[in-house]
Amino acid sequence: METIANDFTINIATANGTGSQSANLILIQSLFEMGVPVSGKNMFPSNISGLPTWYIVRLSDLGYQAPGNRTHIQVLLNPATWHEDLESLEPGSVVIWNENAKMEMTRDDVISYPIPMSSLARKINPKIAKLVTNIIYVGVLAEVLGIDQTELEAAVAKQFKGKASAIELNITALGLGRDYFKENHTKNDPYVVEKRTIEKPQFFIEGNEAVALGCLFGGVQLLAWYPITPSSSLAEGIINYIPQLRTDDDGNTTCAVVQAEDELAAAGMVLGAGWAGGRGMTATSGPGISLMQEFIGLGYFAEIPSVFWNVNRVGPSTGLPTRTQQSDITMLYEGSHGDTQHIVIIPGTVEECFEFGWRAFDYAERFQTPIFGLSDLDLGMNRWACDGFEYPDQEMDRGKVVRDRDVFEAFEEFGRYLDVDGDGIPYRTLPGSGMDPILYRGTGHDTKGTYSEKPDDYYELMQRLKRKIDGARDLLPAPILREETECEIGIIYLGSMENTIQEIDDILEATGIKVSQCRIRALPMHSEVENFISRHEMTIVLEINRDGQLYGILRKELPNNLITKLRSVAYSDGIPPRAGIYAQRILETLEGEGQ
Amino acid sequence: MSDTPKRPARTVKLNVLNEPKDSYTGGKSSLCPGCGHDQISSVIINAAWENGIEPHRVAKMSGIGCSSKTPAYYLGQSHGFNTVHGRMPSVTTGAYTINKDLLYIGVSGDGDSASIGIGQLIHAIRRNMDMVYIIENNGVYGLTKGQYSATADIGSKKKKGVPNKTQPIDLCALAINLGCTFVARSFSGSKKQLGSLIKAAMSHKGFALIDVISPCVTFNNNDESMRSYGYVKENEITLHMTDYIPHFNPIEEIDVPEGHYRDITLHDGSTIRLETISAEHNPEDAVAALTALHTAEANKKHVTGLLYFDNSKPSLAEDLGLVDIPLVDVPNNVLRPSKETLDKINAALHN
Repeated sequence: METIANDFTINIATANGTGSQSANLILIQSLFEMGVPVSGKNMFPSNISGLPTWYIVRLSDLGYQAPGNRTHIQVLLNPATWHEDLESLEPGSVVIWNENAKMEMTRDDVISYPIPMSSLARKINPKIAKLVTNIIYVGVLAEVLGIDQTELEAAVAKQFKGKASAIELNITALGLGRDYFKENHTKNDPYVVEKRTIEKPQFFIEGNEAVALGCLFGGVQLLAWYPITPSSSLAEGIINYIPQLRTDDDGNTTCAVVQAEDELAAAGMVLGAGWAGGRGMTATSGPGISLMQEFIGLGYFAEIPSVFWNVNRVGPSTGLPTRTQQSDITMLYEGSHGDTQHIVIIPGTVEECFEFGWRAFDYAERFQTPIFGLSDLDLGMNRWACDGFEYPDQEMDRGKVVRDRDVFEAFEEFGRYLDVDGDGIPYRTLPGSGMDPILYRGTGHDTKGTYSEKPDDYYELMQRLKRKIDGARDLLPAPILREETECEIGIIYLGSMENTIQEIDDILEATGIKVSQCRIRALPMHSEVENFISRHEMTIVLEINRDGQLYGILRKELPNNLITKLRSVAYSDGIPPRAGIYAQRILETLEGEGQ
Repeated sequence: MSDTPKRPARTVKLNVLNEPKDSYTGGKSSLCPGCGHDQISSVIINAAWENGIEPHRVAKMSGIGCSSKTPAYYLGQSHGFNTVHGRMPSVTTGAYTINKDLLYIGVSGDGDSASIGIGQLIHAIRRNMDMVYIIENNGVYGLTKGQYSATADIGSKKKKGVPNKTQPIDLCALAINLGCTFVARSFSGSKKQLGSLIKAAMSHKGFALIDVISPCVTFNNNDESMRSYGYVKENEITLHMTDYIPHFNPIEEIDVPEGHYRDITLHDGSTIRLETISAEHNPEDAVAALTALHTAEANKKHVTGLLYFDNSKPSLAEDLGLVDIPLVDVPNNVLRPSKETLDKINAALHN
C-alpha cells in the first residue's frame, strides 16, 4: 500500500472534562518535536464537564494550519457523538474506537481498529481509568502512525514537569496502547508520520500567552479584568508572569491587578489609570466590549490613553462562547455612541501577538485614545508554532506629557486640548503635578478643557479628533503584502485567517487563478491598502463573519472609483476557517463576475 | 473678582502651608441658588485648607448629576475627572493604582450611588480603597427635573405627582453591613459637624463614606419631603459632635467642649475627637450603629455623626502589593524587563 506521510487530519472525539486535553497536547508536542508541521484545534463546549469536545490535529508538510476539509483518522470515545462522528466520515477513513464504550461500529466501509481502552486503563489504576483512557489512544496512534517513543516520552516529561509518578503512569499507559495494537491488529491504512529536519527551532504557544508577555514588556501597570471566555487566559497569563517579570526582590510589583466587578468597572479602571499617567489595560471578549461602550466613548472624547484586548468569540449576544469569529470589527472601530473612530491593531501570528502587546501602550499614549487589540479564539486559545519573541526595537513612547515645570512654562499658551503641533495631538499634564489642573469631562469642552456648548468649540474639537486618528494611519502596523505580478485579483484579509490563507491560495492556484494578498494589521487602514486596491482589477475582502464588516469599513472610506473594485466573501460557522469553504466561495464570486 | 476699588488692606489668614483659602476655591457654581450642594463645596474648601492639604495633591472625582458638577466649584488647583454616571468608583480605583499618594475626594449623588452606580460603590467599599466618598443626598434627580431617587423616603411627595411608594435604600446602613471602614452621616446645613467629618475622612486610610443630606431647593423642598430643609432641621438627631484636630496644629487652638468625649487615633497620627451629645455610641460597634440608624428611621428622624469606624483593615494599596513609590513614578527601564529576561523566556519556551 502506498503510504501517506504527514498529510492528514486526526479528529479525536471525547467529552469535556475527561482530561483529554493533556493527552492531546502530548500527541501534538511529540509530532512537533519530530519536525512534523502540525496544528491542534480544541473544539470545546461552553461547559466544564460532560459535553462533547473535539480535538483536531492537522499534519501538513505544506505547513497548512487550518483544520482541514475532512477527517482521515477518527478517534472515537464519546457515545454522545458516536453516530454523528461515524456518519460524517468518508469511506476508507480510519476509526480507532473504544470497544468498552458499549457502542456499535455501524460502518463497514472504514478501516476499523477497536481497542478496549477503558479496560486497559483500569489495569493501570481503576480509580483514574477515565483519565488514563486518553493516554491509551495516544499510545495506539503512536503505534499506528509510527511516532518515536523517545519523542513521546519527552513530551510526557514536558507536560508533567517534575511529577515522576505522573510521568511513569503515562508512559506505562502509552506502552499498553502500543502493545495492544501490535498484538491484536495489523496496520492496513496508509497514514504514517515521517521525521523532518527542523530548520529553525520553534516552540508552541497560545496567542493569549503571547499577548500577555507582550503587555508585560510594554510596561503594563494596571490589568483590570473580568473573567470571560476566551480572554481569561490572556489576563491569567499576565498574572502568572508578574512574579517573574515585574516583581522586585521584596515581592512588590510594578503591575497592579484588579479583578473588577464587571466589564464596566474594568473599563473605568483602565481609563482611571490612563488619566493618572499610567499604562492600564483590560482583556475581554465581545460581550465585555458591549458593556464597555460608554467608557470607550469617554476615552475617545476626553482623550485618555487606554488599551483593550478583545479576543473575539461568536456573537451576537452570548452566542457560541467557545467558538471563533471576526465579528467585532465594526464594534471596535466605531465603538460607543456619537461620532467615534478608534485605533484597532490586529495580530495574525503569535509573534505579532507579542509585538502588538507592547506596541498597544505606545500607541495609546502617543495618540491619547483607546487602543483595541483584536485577536480571536482560534489565535488566542490554540497553540501555534513560534520562532521566538523579538525584543522591542524602540524605547517606550510615553507620548506628549509635560512633566517639568520649565517645559510647561515655555508654552506660549497651554490648553489640554490645544493642537499645538498641528497633528491633532494635544499636550497633557498629570494629576499631582500641579501643572494646568483641569477637570476632565465627557461633556463638550473648549481647548482649555472647560465646559462649552459653543458650536465652534464642538465643531473644532470633533474635527481635531478626526485629524488625530486619521494621522495615525501610516504610523500603525503596515499591511503584509504578497503580490502576484499580474495584479488581477487581490484578497484583503485579517487576523487569524493568516493561518488558512496559504491553503486557500494553493486551492485557487490549482484552478489557474493567481491572487495577491494583503493582510490588514490595523485600522484606520494604512495608505498601502488603498494602493493595493488601486493596483488590482478586483479585490475580495475575506473575513470570518456574516456581514463583511471589514468590507463595510473599506466601502465607507475608499474613494468612489475604488469601491466598485471590492467584493465581499464573508462566512462563519464558528469553526476555525477551513480553506475549502472559503476557496469555494471565492470561486463562486469570481464566476459571478465572469472571471 | 470684585469691581469695588480701593478696599482697605486686610490680613489674609494662612494655613500651615502658608496658603490662603483662595488657593482652595474653584469656579462659580451653576447650581440653583441656595442649593445644599454649594454649602458642601464650601465645607470641602474649608476642610482642605484647614487640614493643610497641598491643593495639587488632591484628585477630585465625580460621576454625573448635580452633585457631580460641583468639583468645578472647589479646589481649582487640583486635577479632576467628571466621569460617567455612577462609575466614578472604578475610574478612581484605576487612578489610585497608578498614583496611590494622591488624596482622592469623590463627590456623588443619590442617583449615582444608590441606583446606577450602586454596584461600583459596593465594590469600592469592599476593596477598602483610600478615598473620601461624599454623597450629596437629596432623594431626587435634579438635572432631569425632579424624579424620585432610590433614597427617597416612602411618602415623600414632589411638588407635583404622586407620593413615593417604594422603600428607600439607606446608604449608611448598606456601607456598615459591607464592612466600610468609615461611615458618617451629616447635613449640608451643619457646616461645623460636616467639616469635622470631612477632615477626619481625609486622614482616614481606607474608604470613608459620608452621606450628606442635601435638600434640593428646586424639586424637593416642600414640607412633605423628608429631605426638605425644614424637615431635616426639625427632625435631625445629632449622634456625635465631631471635632477634628490636625496633628500639626496646637491642640489649644481648638475649642474642645467639656464633658463626654472620646479620641480616636487615625493612621497619619492625627486624632479625631467625638463628643457625645445624645447617646453613648461606640463607633466601633457596627450593631449599635445599625440600631441607631434603624431607630432613627422608625422614628422618622435622621441620625448624624460618625456612625462607624474601623482602622484595622488593610487598604487596597496594601492588598495590591505595589512597590513603595507610586507606579506613575516608576521609570520606563523598570517597567520594561531587559532583553536578557526575554532571552530567558524564549529559551524556557524552547525547552
